[in-house]
Amino acid sequence: MKNEKRMKRIATYVFLILVSFIFFFPFYFLIVSITNPSIDITRGDLLPGSHLIENFRTMIETTPIGLSIWNSALVSVGQTIISIFVSSLAGYGFEVHPSRGKEVVYNIILLSMMIPFAALMVPLFRLFGTISGIVPALGIDTLFGVVLPYVSTAFLVFFFRQNTKMFPKELIEAGRIDGLSELGIFVKIFIPTMKTTYAAAGIVTFMNSWNNYLWPLIVLQSPSNYTVPLVISAMGSGYTIDYGSVMIAIFITTIPTAVIFFVLQKYFVQGMVGSIK
Amino acid sequence: MTEMTEEIKKTKKGKLERNRIWMSWTFVLIPTLFIITFYFYPMIQAFWISLHTGTGVNLDFTGLDNYRRLFNDQAFITAVTNTFIFFIFQIPLMIILALFFSVLLNQKTLHFKGIFRTLVFLPAITSLVAYSLIFRYLFSNDGVVNQALMFMNLIDAPIFWLGDPFWAKVLIIIAITWRWTGYNMIFYLSALQNIDPGIYEAARIDGASAVQQFFRITIPMLRPVILFTSITSTIGTLQLFDEPMNLTGGGPGNATTTISQYIYNLSFEYTPNFGYAAAVSYSIVVFVLILSAIQFRVGRERK
Amino acid sequence: MFSKKHLFLSASAVLLLAACGNGDDETGDTGDTGEETTEETSGDMNELTVWTWDPNFNVRALEMAEERYQEENPDFSLNIVENSQEDVVQRLNTSLSSGVDTGLPQIVFIEDYRAPSFLNSYDDAFYPLGDYYNTDEFADYKVAAGTVDGNVYNVPFDTGVTGLYARTDYLEEAGYSLEDLEDITWDEYIEIGKDVYDQTGIKWITNDHGDLGLMRIMLQSSGVWWTEDDGTTPYIADNEALKMAFEDYKEMVEADIMNVHNEWDQFIQTFNNGDVVTVPTGNWISASIMQAEDQSGNWGIAPIPRQDMEGSVNASNLGGSSIYVLQGEGQEAAAEFLAATFGSDVEFYQELVTEINALGAYEPAMEGEAYEQESEFYGGQQIFQDLSEWTQEIPEVEFGQRTYEIQDILAVALQDYLNGADLDEVLQNAQEQAESNM
Repeated sequence: MKNEKRMKRIATYVFLILVSFIFFFPFYFLIVSITNPSIDITRGDLLPGSHLIENFRTMIETTPIGLSIWNSALVSVGQTIISIFVSSLAGYGFEVHPSRGKEVVYNIILLSMMIPFAALMVPLFRLFGTISGIVPALGIDTLFGVVLPYVSTAFLVFFFRQNTKMFPKELIEAGRIDGLSELGIFVKIFIPTMKTTYAAAGIVTFMNSWNNYLWPLIVLQSPSNYTVPLVISAMGSGYTIDYGSVMIAIFITTIPTAVIFFVLQKYFVQGMVGSIK
Repeated sequence: MTEMTEEIKKTKKGKLERNRIWMSWTFVLIPTLFIITFYFYPMIQAFWISLHTGTGVNLDFTGLDNYRRLFNDQAFITAVTNTFIFFIFQIPLMIILALFFSVLLNQKTLHFKGIFRTLVFLPAITSLVAYSLIFRYLFSNDGVVNQALMFMNLIDAPIFWLGDPFWAKVLIIIAITWRWTGYNMIFYLSALQNIDPGIYEAARIDGASAVQQFFRITIPMLRPVILFTSITSTIGTLQLFDEPMNLTGGGPGNATTTISQYIYNLSFEYTPNFGYAAAVSYSIVVFVLILSAIQFRVGRERK
Repeated sequence: MFSKKHLFLSASAVLLLAACGNGDDETGDTGDTGEETTEETSGDMNELTVWTWDPNFNVRALEMAEERYQEENPDFSLNIVENSQEDVVQRLNTSLSSGVDTGLPQIVFIEDYRAPSFLNSYDDAFYPLGDYYNTDEFADYKVAAGTVDGNVYNVPFDTGVTGLYARTDYLEEAGYSLEDLEDITWDEYIEIGKDVYDQTGIKWITNDHGDLGLMRIMLQSSGVWWTEDDGTTPYIADNEALKMAFEDYKEMVEADIMNVHNEWDQFIQTFNNGDVVTVPTGNWISASIMQAEDQSGNWGIAPIPRQDMEGSVNASNLGGSSIYVLQGEGQEAAAEFLAATFGSDVEFYQELVTEINALGAYEPAMEGEAYEQESEFYGGQQIFQDLSEWTQEIPEVEFGQRTYEIQDILAVALQDYLNGADLDEVLQNAQEQAESNM
């Protein structure tokens, strides 16, 4: 019995290491690539080279990468905090206080998630043209303009509503008995109880925002406002592409999301809900 | 839940309850206003555009002509077929894998959990540029994958991954699975924490095996989140763009062209025809609507 | 009770927005001041905004032009906005079709194949430049790409003049020399290829079945395109040149002398790795070929093969872009800048060749000394001299508005044809499909 268990454990680790290798391999290639000159990268060289410093220098000299990381950080952090708060409020509201009217509204929200963004771009840009005319600080070519359409997203509202279905509703009644207001229940009971849901939403929203490409491309126009994906895309375009500096830019700009994931996944510990109950 | 609220409504339709209803609408209305302004309103405009034909800004109102054209457009029909092939294989494969990994990486006693989880998640954040470069390289005719398969005697001749209509589709499915499994795993991992460990304990005492626990407890408890991931993945797959665009360019021929890629081509690659592109976009809305209605039904039925 | 809560909620919402506002303020400020300065100077238009792609080519060329122009106009400057080509196309389309002119540039680069689409889709969006420079001094086909109803809207930039890049060492190994590749037809090219492949085992050519660039090269050398001169009517089923191109292509595939790659990076990998003997393509490939320093001295460039039909010449084009000015404030200043640099500055063109291997289509520039330099990498060949001579012979064709749309239809047709379908049938289908999309 004990032996069998041990074998099982070993098998699990062997399997996980094998799988990790497959998942990690392209990232390994990325790490190796940052040390190689462009020609070796297109040749598919899988061994480290000595071109790291040159690649880094080229990147720094030819691109506004530092500034774009700063812009991306502002946009991503701002968007993550705002949209998670606003969207979870809605997901909670739809699930905890359902009514026929709200279902209609909810369906409209879900519907808005189904159309490809490419189809919305021209009308949305026109809308931002109008916004620019009224409040320039929220319109075209501002970081606010990048965030504005994502203050609340159907994706997150849907996500929070589905997760609220797993939220123990007794806690709400308990809160009411304790004399908490509705918002108080949300802030003091719901948010702490659903920590892992917020962690998941945080990871995903940050990642989507950090990698968001189409909308920033359309709405941002001054290079000083560019976010990371726009800068990287511009680097990889042309008759002769310097893959070395492209790779190092990609590598550096991948780290923040990886770190955020690594930190937030620690909240995925079983029994969280139980301990609060 | 609904009954409870209704009950409250009936019994003490007092000031307190009115307040609650008001508050709950406030919770819901702020986000709704934003979504209506930035998605629903442009969506209606896109529908209006879809009733027009012409290039660039020279648009004429042509009613439903664009929608009629869809049925005779060979390129569109191929794109729809390809997209559905991806959908049928992709969604079950990825959801099962993601569920499997999340349960595996949720074990209390497992060491280096954080590292393993991060590695499985890594593909979701590895830039498309880097990963399409390496995928094309790995899957080239004399690439590592073919060499490995031949070494293991699984194939006699190299597979023409990027040049064969069948294998190119397989490659796309491999690529999407590789990229999005870890992403979907997050949702399951977080939801698993909301299951009361006591339930498992009770099951163990009753002598339920790990497999039984998985099917009798984990899956039913996660149903709302599984529904969420299957619907968002459906939307993601029906709007699939990145992989075919970067890995195969939609080729060989148009064997891997997707609906979204066709929309992109109609809007930007060819002489811009925004009216027709919008009509194609609305076809995606219709497909997603039908598929999510089915999924919602299946998801609810077993409640 | 309610109002209090309500107040708190709206207050917190405001706070939240304000908090985000503070976070964004700093860059918001720099962004704003940036905008203001643009607006201020846009009054006298000393700073012009340009949308372009390719940091090592277009951007460098612009920077060099800016520097030269500043000698006479010290207050002048360019604000170069760099995106990938697809992104420039996407942004330009979105801006122009939404009618929002906030942030539109004065100057934009457009690939020649795409120019007719833009010029025809957005009436009055572009500013005519024909009066600002002498169009006769440029290769006809370049100017034609930016001409609609007799109005010239472009200043030509790089020529996509093609050459047959070849590994001279491999050729020698098989008993051939670069001269054997000069002034030949595609059929002769294939015959030599079969022999070289037999002897060396190295593929003769590499191509991506989805990229019909090779077909475009063949068609333009014969002075035709896959649309008629009106720019929209498909010219596929009865197009002899296209038919011949398909046949030649299939022959290369069946003789097994063609290596098949996917996408740009693999294309470059193939010749950098020495896996292919010849690369028939646009001259802009030079820099990528020269990346493989170990192959120095082993390359040469012959004129592109011609089709075996009347009117076909040993010169063609692939890609290349031109510069356009958008209507609006600053249009004259932009036009003057372009006319003084890309439109007439012989010395500037020498710099372009020396610094970034960029070859323009400006005839007077050919007389300069930079064009006479011998390239060590290409075995001492005067490559710029040769390529510019071929540039003058490139037949003029009407690219029309459907180059990429019909290319996608033809890529499917090619796939069917390679899989054994009848050529006439395949082309007839393609013709019908292209007609039904009109």
